[in-house]
Amino acid sequence: MQAVSTPINHNMISIKKLIVAAVIIIVAIAGLYFYKEYNRKVADLSNAKVEETINAADLVTAFENDEAGATKKFAGKTVLVMGNVAEIINQQDTMLNIFLGDKSAISKVSCLMDMRKKEGFKNIVSGTQISIKGICTGFLADVEMNRCVIVNDNKF
Amino acid sequence: MNFYILLFSLLLAVNDVTAQPKVFTKTGTISFKSKTALENIEAVNNKVLSVWDMASGTIEFSLLIKGFEFDRALMQEHFNENYMESDKYPKAVFKGVVENSKNVLLTSNNNYNLKVSGALTMHGVTKQINLPVTIKIKNGEANAMASFSIIPQDYNIKIPGLVADKINKKIDVLINVPAYKILATK
Repeated sequence: MQAVSTPINHNMISIKKLIVAAVIIIVAIAGLYFYKEYNRKVADLSNAKVEETINAADLVTAFENDEAGATKKFAGKTVLVMGNVAEIINQQDTMLNIFLGDKSAISKVSCLMDMRKKEGFKNIVSGTQISIKGICTGFLADVEMNRCVIVNDNKF
Repeated sequence: MNFYILLFSLLLAVNDVTAQPKVFTKTGTISFKSKTALENIEAVNNKVLSVWDMASGTIEFSLLIKGFEFDRALMQEHFNENYMESDKYPKAVFKGVVENSKNVLLTSNNNYNLKVSGALTMHGVTKQINLPVTIKIKNGEANAMASFSIIPQDYNIKIPGLVADKINKKIDVLINVPAYKILATK
């Protein structure tokens, strides 16, 4: 009887060990995942997938005609906007806003640039056509975009 | 005749300078802070729209909830999705009156400590608030700063028990408008 029960005991121990090891590994992976997730920084949009592509004037018109509908469609999304640089507001090199659209229009697309990418903004001048990728946050006096980066390869 | 036209337009011009203008900004800043022993939470919105009619004293602030930037992405997601429900309530708006606004002159450098009272609407709830504001006039431009605190519960913002210890019951809000620009002169 004894001889039969011994191998069963050995099996029990190894299964127990296996379970303990698996639990430790799962807890460690989960812990690492939560730690990384908790410390995750807001993404730089340079490599973000574009969800909507539109001209600055059309984007403004969309919000002017149906703000609620356009908010639903664009807000929170990564939007690629092409337009004429109407105005540049630089606040002591800590905040840079590029307004896209018609210079005489009341509402434009206001792009708050991601200062982590400021090297790319140096050569931007008023009156040129550029493409900007950013997160659309909605509409106030202008269509508002945050964390914007310049897209150079004008694939439109 | 030409002389009178010139004189008249000069008088008008002088009158324009001393009249109380309507001023505005599109790049005001509103930030908030929550400090607890477990966690500090901070976010900033640099796209605050504000229009202040200096003659009547009416002042308005509006901002987009999605425009608040956090250091940590997860906090920003939870703030928008769980607490502020920014898809449902995309904006926060304050409409109020600056007391003694008429006394503020853009023509001379000076500091003013004034009171603002009005209605703050966010997360679908409107509440009356009063706050002191400091206006600094420098070289014809007005800078405005104010701070106050809000209780999320007042605005029907539910904070789950699991994270209740990590979020202060009172959230400190700081308003800073570096420079109001002249929109129109009355």
